[in-house]
Amino acid sequence: MPDLSDNGSLSCWLVRLLVWLSVASGISVSAADAAPDFESDIAPLLVRRCVECHQGKNPSGGLLLTTRKGLHAGGESGQVIDLQNVDDSKLLQRVIDGEMPPEKQGRSQKLSDAEIKLIRQWLAGGAKWPDDRELDYFERTNDVRAGRDWWSLQPLVRPEVPQLVRQPQPNNPIDAFVRSKLEAENITPAPRADRRTLVRRAYYDLIGLPPTEDEIKAFLADDSAEAWPRLIDRLLEMPQYGERWARYWLDLARYADTSGYERDQEKPFAWKYRDWVVKAFNSDMSYDQFVMQQIAGDELPDRTEESVIATGFLRLGTWNDEPNDKLDYQYDRLEDLVHTTSSAFLALTVKCARCHSHKFDAITQEDYYRMASAFWAGPLLEGELGGPPAQKLGFNDVLGWTDESPTPKPLHILKNGERHQPLEEVIPASLSSIPSLERRFDVPLDGAKTSHRRLQLARWIADPRNPVTSRVLVNRLWQHHFGQGIVRTPSNFGFLANPPTHPQLLDWLAAEFQSGGRRMKSIHRLILTSQTWQQSTLHPHAEEFEKRDSGNRLLWRSSRRRLDAETLRDSLLAVSGDLDLRVGGAGFKPTISPEALEGLSRKSAAWEPSPIEQQKRRSLYMYLKRGLLPPMMTTFDLCDPTLSCGQRDVTIVPTQALTLLNNRFVHDRSEHLATVISQGSSDQKEQVRQAWSRVLRRQPSDSELDSALRYLVTQTRTFAESEVPSVDELAAERTKGIRSSLVLHLRADKAVVSDGDETRVRSLPDLSSQGHDATQLEVKAQPVLVADGFGGKPTLRFDGSGRFMYLFGQVITAQSHTIVCVVSDDGGSGHREVISNWNGGAGNSTTSLFLGLTGDNTVRFSDAFAPAGNVTDRTKPFVLAAVNGSGQAAVFQNGRLLKSAPELAPRRLDTPWIIGQQGNINGEFWKGGIAEIRVYNRDLTDQERQSVEAELAGRYEVSLSPIENRPRLSPEILALASLCHAMMNSNEFLFVD
Amino acid sequence: MSNTSQFPCGQTRRQFAWQMGHGVAGLAMTDLLTRDGFFGAPVRAAERDAPLNPLAPKPPQIKPRAKACIFLTMNGAPSQVDTFDYKPELEKYAGQPLPADRKYINSGGRKVGFLTPAWRKFRPGGESGLLVSDYFPNVRKHADKLCVLNSCHTDSHAHGSALVAINTGKTLIGRPSLGSWAVYGLGTENENLPGYVVILDNRGGPISGQPNWANGFMPATYSGTLFRPVGDPILDLRGPQHMTQKAQREQLDFLAELNQQHLDTRPSGRELAARINSYELAYRMQSATPKAVDLSQETQSTLDMYGVGKEPTDEYGRNCLIARRLVERGVRFIQLYSGGGHLEETWDAHAGIESNHGRHGAEVDQPIAALLTDLEQRSLLDDTLVIWGGEFGRMPFSEGQNAPGRNHNPYGFSMWFAGGGVKGGMNYGKTDDFGFEAVEDKVHLHDLHATILHIMGLDHELLTYFHQGREESLTDVGGNVIDDVLA
Repeated sequence: MPDLSDNGSLSCWLVRLLVWLSVASGISVSAADAAPDFESDIAPLLVRRCVECHQGKNPSGGLLLTTRKGLHAGGESGQVIDLQNVDDSKLLQRVIDGEMPPEKQGRSQKLSDAEIKLIRQWLAGGAKWPDDRELDYFERTNDVRAGRDWWSLQPLVRPEVPQLVRQPQPNNPIDAFVRSKLEAENITPAPRADRRTLVRRAYYDLIGLPPTEDEIKAFLADDSAEAWPRLIDRLLEMPQYGERWARYWLDLARYADTSGYERDQEKPFAWKYRDWVVKAFNSDMSYDQFVMQQIAGDELPDRTEESVIATGFLRLGTWNDEPNDKLDYQYDRLEDLVHTTSSAFLALTVKCARCHSHKFDAITQEDYYRMASAFWAGPLLEGELGGPPAQKLGFNDVLGWTDESPTPKPLHILKNGERHQPLEEVIPASLSSIPSLERRFDVPLDGAKTSHRRLQLARWIADPRNPVTSRVLVNRLWQHHFGQGIVRTPSNFGFLANPPTHPQLLDWLAAEFQSGGRRMKSIHRLILTSQTWQQSTLHPHAEEFEKRDSGNRLLWRSSRRRLDAETLRDSLLAVSGDLDLRVGGAGFKPTISPEALEGLSRKSAAWEPSPIEQQKRRSLYMYLKRGLLPPMMTTFDLCDPTLSCGQRDVTIVPTQALTLLNNRFVHDRSEHLATVISQGSSDQKEQVRQAWSRVLRRQPSDSELDSALRYLVTQTRTFAESEVPSVDELAAERTKGIRSSLVLHLRADKAVVSDGDETRVRSLPDLSSQGHDATQLEVKAQPVLVADGFGGKPTLRFDGSGRFMYLFGQVITAQSHTIVCVVSDDGGSGHREVISNWNGGAGNSTTSLFLGLTGDNTVRFSDAFAPAGNVTDRTKPFVLAAVNGSGQAAVFQNGRLLKSAPELAPRRLDTPWIIGQQGNINGEFWKGGIAEIRVYNRDLTDQERQSVEAELAGRYEVSLSPIENRPRLSPEILALASLCHAMMNSNEFLFVD
Repeated sequence: MSNTSQFPCGQTRRQFAWQMGHGVAGLAMTDLLTRDGFFGAPVRAAERDAPLNPLAPKPPQIKPRAKACIFLTMNGAPSQVDTFDYKPELEKYAGQPLPADRKYINSGGRKVGFLTPAWRKFRPGGESGLLVSDYFPNVRKHADKLCVLNSCHTDSHAHGSALVAINTGKTLIGRPSLGSWAVYGLGTENENLPGYVVILDNRGGPISGQPNWANGFMPATYSGTLFRPVGDPILDLRGPQHMTQKAQREQLDFLAELNQQHLDTRPSGRELAARINSYELAYRMQSATPKAVDLSQETQSTLDMYGVGKEPTDEYGRNCLIARRLVERGVRFIQLYSGGGHLEETWDAHAGIESNHGRHGAEVDQPIAALLTDLEQRSLLDDTLVIWGGEFGRMPFSEGQNAPGRNHNPYGFSMWFAGGGVKGGMNYGKTDDFGFEAVEDKVHLHDLHATILHIMGLDHELLTYFHQGREESLTDVGGNVIDDVLA
């Protein structure tokens, strides 16, 4: 156990805690029957055991136990003490019975014998209570909760830098603090890590990207004393620094691009907030400004568009447009704002005081509502997408926050947090947790547009005398450089927090941060130039020290860290040479496999990935939809953006292995890299060296080279020999599962031709076995069969002049349906249809269902959905798919979404079905080829549709959209790719020493 | 399989795995930073040795009545008065308005019509004579196994938040779901499969999506895994085609060699060894998961019983059959959605009870009955809790005059339990005469959740997770176990 009771302000509370503990355990009463002392014996007992309920304006049972007067006045059931006959005192009887304190969650809270004895003695001694002494539930820390004397709330005093005894005094005070503790524990620090390790660690720490081999070499070649600080300065000046560190802040700000819940609407221009954060880091904005702008950027006297964008911080929470009860919901939104603000900036769990005073920290229920009052003037109830309408912000195209009026309606404290039980009106003010800084919020000056409460809250948080703010921030910086903070629960500095491993160091850093104008870059420099940060992860005495301090709380070595989700993805892009380092702007939508899209309620076309080139940007810019977080990212512990997140989990699970082994994104990287390497050199040894250099940023050892070469030989042979099933076979296998929904299946190779003319098609059997055979008995209306049509397969040709076929029976019976066909189009002047049930006489001239093209060569999927997108290369065979159902209609060409629309209005489906013409209109004839038509009586999922498209594309040699259509790589390149892939999966790649 | 299982350093792969694994299961999946306050009263989040394998089976807190749970989720909210809550009074008062003193939120501001009796007849089933309507004729045959909770009520009238509530206990997104709590509390019996599996309706996911099976503030390890009933059940189970099993084995061996060399110079690398082992587990998952959904192993009579291969039972029949196979394989929590996407594609019968429930009932009735039969025949039913229900119920009155649909009703609805140590052939709790509002032995979501956890051997008050200053639990500060339903 590290020694926490070193000198300094932080330790006072601990000393008191120890004193209290000895009281509570009854040690001090052992001194015979001396009358207990009120201050040292009774006050703590009452505060700890009774005052939680018996305090305030409405004490439980009417009994107030915070004043002498209250004790003597008694409660609703009369006097509680009888000083003449002490044993008749109700107070004593109740605690002896165990009736008081009442049980909690089924567990008895009965006082100990020692405590009961104390009370009896105190009563017997006349229940002494100094007249003016008022007990305060939060006055001090005890063994079950923190008081206002809690360490994190105490003023910041710069501690003395300790002097080492056995080692030379280090230059960097960080090392003095850390090593003095190590000295005391007789633990030696780990040696400095080698320079190659350090340069990689510095790159990942500061910019979240690996150094190239050349950058490493250049650093290793520079052995001047200035090499290291120069490297740090260079990295801190790179725009990638801001990107790396902004991501940590975005976790705290619960950043996402959508609102969540059923409709999961986009939060337009949320990305401008992200850019603001990146710029704030890159420009080394003072932390005061960083705080002020995010909480009150709209209220600042010198407000700018940027400062208003910063208030996006308050707009980023989830938002339900259909809450069960709007009036209740505004209180939930308040909680989000209170919680996000208080945990991100103050590491206080103020939200726990919504229904009752905090169970563990010096935060009253009133404090919760005081803080909530700062946000009460905002558009919690109305507004656009949960926020102020754009014009109220004064700038176009920004997402921000502002008040609805300078004088909001009163906010009441709510009993048990319930809206229907309002207690007194809260007076807007700061928290009471730090008495010396407690202040009411002034009403705004006349003419103000906002309540100025957030401004005053922001000023209170940013006040240099507020000790929590700087402690919390430097702890976060430390955390991301060491994997763990000095306080290892970075968003909770309260009673249930993990106490600081180095309390004095924390205060020293906070003081240093203050005196340096609250700039973060100087703290980074300080940390990275310390020996503590530069230690190796390895230690010659690791085994022994592990036993004594397995959590490395004393920092006797550096902790190895796994790349987080973004850094991993960025690194994959970096090593394959794909990374696009464009900074800022709107995000990109990654390709998400159709399987993963299954979870969406509106799935077909609900997610349109950005062009592949844009997807090569850093992961920071990945669009985060709350209802569909990218699976690859969540697998690697991207945190849920519902709540502010101060520390991500770090897990190692097999699904991560599956992702890195099998995910297409990773294969794209390794295949691209292998292609590039093999273009540079055909020499296998050189290729292996290149692979090592690019992925692991070093040269292979001789044995690694040998085994890699052997690996290439084996894998090349394997790939050359492997019988890869044809796309056709695989797709056919996959489409088996949806056959039961197939209601029409026509294929030209099954055509029955006319007697006497083998090119005239008389009928096509319906292969779905639903009996919707196609027929045309009139020879002049029969399509022509081309034996060597699409992909060399038989195909029907329609010449646009009166050729069509009748279908037997009602083909489609459900309003949800899918049509997939393989066609080509030579038309151009007017409408033409592949399939239709238009029937003017029967009365569905506006409600029929059909699929065809317009005179403008756009697809029409019934009158309700036209135009449904432009086809390209229409004279070549293509797969045309139309899906309707589940709230959506969508049309695809060769697997590419042409357009989507709301679900079609109900169609009338019971009229005769025709192919090659607009129903019975005697016109709009198809001109071009039709090789196959499949109709399903439901909306296929994306995956199902794709499997049908893939099967058809395979048969007719049609190219599907790019992602499905990769060039076939040679066995040699595949082997090299598989080598690169293995390295991308290696621990050396994924961990930073 | 590869014939190059010889490592350069002379080890076989098996030796290697053994050494790395230190007994394999021990280091299966390491959650390096779990800060859980597992079991017990609030504790300070002092550092504790993180459990090596967050999914390892854990002893139950109380005597379990079921090892596994299958939650048949009727997405969109079936009507109680048309399925499991018989209300003869509705016949008597048909055509009259709900008494004016009954207060409710008219969800979506839809039309309000008159009291309307059940659209299909109720008939007694089994020896108990429990009443079940003709929307579930096959389930009715299992009446003696059913413990119908007629007095459920919930906190929201909107699908999005009510679904999230039935899954996570609260209407606000961001909390761990029931299955996450179960796996967090009990671990899983089969490390080659996910512990918590969710199978969605092919028509789409439930509204609000992912948050319905999310891990919330717990590590992602406890999140529900979406299983697809056709093809590869989980994401990234297979690489590109050229990565055949042989090629992959080759690659894994090479990777293991790289990692071994890396580990050799980092002897204290516990997390490194854990990750090495996770690749062997992943390799096994690749074969175990497809097998779990491979219905070609089943006899034709089993397939027929579930209605696999014929409409409209094929999809839900497959899912129910897969659920049984997953229970056999030690999966802890399985959720099968019926209804997906929106409106009539779900049980959300605004347009018509008969058209909607007729359709969806026919899709699920036979499969659910088959599941109960099958579990019983294989002696799995005693160890498996089967839950049926939606996110709320429906109004006893029509949506518009003489209209065939019914609007949302969070005030009273029915769910049922079967198997896993619950009493069969019983109704618990009551709604009023109209089936509008739960009035007797009311069952709130928290009670439901407390009871489910209890049946699985977990105490809802002790099963807590420490998060941001608070010991969080599924039932928060509410919830009582419904003792009367326990066998």
